[in-house]
Amino acid sequence: MTADRIRRSLGARLAAPAALVGAVALTGLVVFGTGTAQAETTTTAGSTSAYEGPVTTSTNLAGGTTRTTPTTSATSLTTPTAYGAGTNAVAQPAVATALPSAEAAARYEAPSNQDGLYYRDLPDAYIAPGQALYASNCASCHGTQANGKEGVAPNLLGLGAGTVDFWVSTGRMPLANTSAQATRKPPRFNRTQTLQIAAYVQSLTPGQGTKVPVVNTASADLEAGGELFTLNCAACHTISGAGDMLAQGAYAPSLHLATSTQIVEAIRSGPGNMPHFGPGNIPDTEARDIAAYVVKVLQHPQDSGGYGLGGIGPVGEGFVGLLIGVGALMAICFWIGDRS
Amino acid sequence: MSDRDPIVEGPLPPAALDDPHLQPLAKNPGRTEGIAALSMIVGFLGFLGFGFTYWINASTQWLALTLGIGMLGLGAGVIAWGKYLMPQGPFVEERHDFHSTEPERKAMTAVITERGGMVIKRRKLLTGLFAAGSAVMGVVLLFPLIRSLGPKPAKSEQTFGTTDNSLYTTNWRQGSLVTTVDGRQVRVDDLQTGGVLTVFPRGHEGASADQVILIRLAELGPNDPPYQIEAPGKTEWGVQGYVAYSKLCTHLGCPVGLYQQQTQQLVCPCHQSIFNVNAGCVPEFGPAARPLPMLPITVDSQGRLRANGTFNEAVGPGFWERP
Amino acid sequence: MIDKSLRWIDDRLGIAKGGRTFLDKIFPDHWSFMLGEIALYSFILLLATGVFLSLYYVPSAHEIVYHGTYVPLQGQRVSEAYASSVSLSFDVRTGLLMRQAHHWAADIFLGSIAVHMARVFFTGAFRKPREFNWLVGVSMLILGIVNGFLGYSLPDDLVSGTGIRIAFSIIESIPVVGSYLGFFLFGGNYPGSGVIIPRFFTIHVLIVPALIVGLLAAHLGLLVKQKHTQFPGKGRTEKNVVGTPMFPTFIAKTTGFLFMSTAVTFLLGGFAQINPVWQFGQYQPYQISYAVQPDWYMGWLDGALRIMPSWEWVGWGHTLPLMVFLPAVVFPGLIFTILMAWPFIETAWTKDREYHNLLDRPRDRPKRTAAGAAMLTLLLMVFFASSTDVLANFFQLPLEAVLWFFRFVVPLSPIVAYYLTYKICVEMREAGEDVGERKRALVVKRTAEGEYITEPSLPRPGDGHVELDAIPLPTFIDTAGPELATPGGVRRVIR
Repeated sequence: MTADRIRRSLGARLAAPAALVGAVALTGLVVFGTGTAQAETTTTAGSTSAYEGPVTTSTNLAGGTTRTTPTTSATSLTTPTAYGAGTNAVAQPAVATALPSAEAAARYEAPSNQDGLYYRDLPDAYIAPGQALYASNCASCHGTQANGKEGVAPNLLGLGAGTVDFWVSTGRMPLANTSAQATRKPPRFNRTQTLQIAAYVQSLTPGQGTKVPVVNTASADLEAGGELFTLNCAACHTISGAGDMLAQGAYAPSLHLATSTQIVEAIRSGPGNMPHFGPGNIPDTEARDIAAYVVKVLQHPQDSGGYGLGGIGPVGEGFVGLLIGVGALMAICFWIGDRS
Repeated sequence: MSDRDPIVEGPLPPAALDDPHLQPLAKNPGRTEGIAALSMIVGFLGFLGFGFTYWINASTQWLALTLGIGMLGLGAGVIAWGKYLMPQGPFVEERHDFHSTEPERKAMTAVITERGGMVIKRRKLLTGLFAAGSAVMGVVLLFPLIRSLGPKPAKSEQTFGTTDNSLYTTNWRQGSLVTTVDGRQVRVDDLQTGGVLTVFPRGHEGASADQVILIRLAELGPNDPPYQIEAPGKTEWGVQGYVAYSKLCTHLGCPVGLYQQQTQQLVCPCHQSIFNVNAGCVPEFGPAARPLPMLPITVDSQGRLRANGTFNEAVGPGFWERP
Repeated sequence: MIDKSLRWIDDRLGIAKGGRTFLDKIFPDHWSFMLGEIALYSFILLLATGVFLSLYYVPSAHEIVYHGTYVPLQGQRVSEAYASSVSLSFDVRTGLLMRQAHHWAADIFLGSIAVHMARVFFTGAFRKPREFNWLVGVSMLILGIVNGFLGYSLPDDLVSGTGIRIAFSIIESIPVVGSYLGFFLFGGNYPGSGVIIPRFFTIHVLIVPALIVGLLAAHLGLLVKQKHTQFPGKGRTEKNVVGTPMFPTFIAKTTGFLFMSTAVTFLLGGFAQINPVWQFGQYQPYQISYAVQPDWYMGWLDGALRIMPSWEWVGWGHTLPLMVFLPAVVFPGLIFTILMAWPFIETAWTKDREYHNLLDRPRDRPKRTAAGAAMLTLLLMVFFASSTDVLANFFQLPLEAVLWFFRFVVPLSPIVAYYLTYKICVEMREAGEDVGERKRALVVKRTAEGEYITEPSLPRPGDGHVELDAIPLPTFIDTAGPELATPGGVRRVIR
């Protein structure tokens, strides 16, 4: 029978590809792991290393903080409704603090106070080298006395070291283009140099303005941080931290590269069009929680559903649904049907 | 094949197996069958893989990949079978007139107008009563369907009490303590210049209609005097550089939470209406037509912020009864 | 065996005659006739995944404390609706896949309806006798958009809650009855008495799907009764239909296509994340995120709201928010009225009362094609206007400039589109008749002298193919000897 012949020859022809497919699938399962991939650890250490110099007061290098998300495999069958109905108990997020490495512990003093945040005075030894750096890089616009130039650059007196640290460590200063809003770029100075400049500007008006914060996000309350972020920050920076365009050419920048130090500095100093949030408005504990939420959750979103599409919501989803979804199906129509 | 009858009732003469209309499209059917079979085997393996990935509780991506491969493989195989290996004809089918014949149409009309008309004309009282009864039933059945759903909106701004049934009033009263959403009372030194905070009257934290955006107006520079409020007729409604506006956009009620402290603008995130804070939150750009209503505030002897009265207009988007 | 079972059934139900007629139905073959099937299969997938989701979703605004597996939410006060949406994404096996596939299927459902409708429109398939089916189709489109919005609202997350708030305000803008309607629907002033989520749920899973199922049955029933339209070509007339039979050829292709549609949706559902509600958090009326947009099929309404000038009419003790009422109520009302009325508008214009079973080529009806292109362009432009902020941010342009751009482009673009389409159609029509002929590509070549010339490409396989004359579908097939049997072809024979 013809059919038998075909079946026999098929068997011979298909054996190799079938084995190949099986092997690839098995290898894939082994290599990529299974559902436990969702239980990935979110590590903050070194995540923004490109923007971190040798010295930092941020906990991004201070503690290898590891957050573990319980896997669905552990709970899906045993606790069908894992959220408790009607209870008022507030669970602490499962945040485990790993011991900082010896090197990190030696170099950075993570705050041990309950706020997880304190403001640090920069060493006086920084002032002299800072003055030199300031004179050669900043004075041309901001003036030798740091009191600004009308219509060119703002007065820096009274802003404090934290404000200076924010602008310089995010690469926004020195400015590349004087006409537009300063954009984030790789910083020109390393961490020590940045703090030296900050120390010099602070020394002109001692005690005034925002100091450089030291943030320990290890014990932060991510849930509170998320609520506070939604209430105070998402209106401009969007719920995913992607940022968006505001009025008169101003824009809320993306938060995906910000360090916890920079976030607290921005909250406290209100750079550009951003509002000022003082400790009477957002206490230090809450500032720490917001910073922790940004660096731990927003910068490492749990995209369990696949590729995140840039976190810009239905605009991206619509394009994918129409171009890829409907587009692919139309291509299949084109294959199935007659084309004349 | 014009020698065949175009259309006949009942079976046609049998077609020959080698009739060209019954032949597969594929030039080499054996090879095509092999490809289709391979595709179906891939699909088969895909479904097995889905069962396996479900069993071991793999990630969403693995589930989708295996299920997708299963369906793609099986689907492509069946399509190839249908497209390349099944008879493509072409075959022809006559279209019948599906409209009725003229006598049938006339008969239908007659049934309605003559048989029906006769009944109606003879019993006009019953016809009228049945029509009236049905109409009344139709109307009264709408009552539970619509009216039971919710309360009527309160008629005027004189209505006080809960905000649940009024578009005119909020829970802000003379002397209401200004509190944050978590119940913290706001003191006069809580905000820095250029600071912004969402506040509620004490006891109504989180209530939609009561949300107010409290701003301490920014200085032009760190050493300049505080900014003056320029809202016409409302210059005394702020206190110590603080102003308070309803956070509900007058366009579509979104929270206007986007404050630009240098340009002194509030932007609505939904449709980008832009309000000028210094001028009393008048709309400068975008679809909103009315200023955000302003809430008069004051400071009590203990330094706490309090409402100094209430809104003098309905907050939120426009509606027909709004004067 | 088959014979015996059929007899048993036919004794009781009498299906043999109708059943054979059904299996013998001829379907014209063209790729564009399958676009409606995408919508059909997406809808089936929506029902299937929707049933799965409804087993876990809790339609309740009751507030509880979240204790699920997603760490950043633990301890937050959320509604049961939101908690169950997150829980079915993380704690139910395949839950996230089903949820995302459901959402993608909705996007694809409405997208394929739009494409299918464009095909029907541009080929004139809505003409007599198919006006009813056009009306049924437009009704399903409207119901689909409504149900998409309702489903989008159910998780009670920050983004969808903002959409409900806007919906309330739009209802409020309707003159005279607006505030009453809003209060009745929401059970009071926004956000209402906690009834909106359960009410939306009932409408989303029961009322609208039931209506769509009914209309879908009517849509397909009318298709079967009136038979499919076909393009003009060899042997195709107004009085016949030429193609492949329902059984087995069409069944095989369409079943395969059902699998393919499902595959594409599930692959998107597993690899392209859609609406990650756990990242958005519970909706609170005083919280908002920037860059919130509705799903794409509502985008054109959002865009119209954005570009509308700030007109609000105040007088005689009343307020009429025209900047809301016109773009969000009148504009869609007008669009859907024009769509519904189009077959009758065209008849009134052309005075054409004939039956039409042969389709038009779009170029042969330049005015209709241009009108359709103008409407599509208008809708596309207001759709783009719904992402002014995202576009401004992406291209680093001022928000105000982007908005003004759309304020000019939206009214002007349909005029330009109409004019251009009309011109192109007329020109293409003058280019000559080549109905049913396969087009030959032109290849640009460089000669040895360095000169560039064009010449027709080499004939592709099948270029010389001449279609056979169509024959009536044979019921019986002579079984000849096995040596004539073609592998994979029709071989089984009922004597």
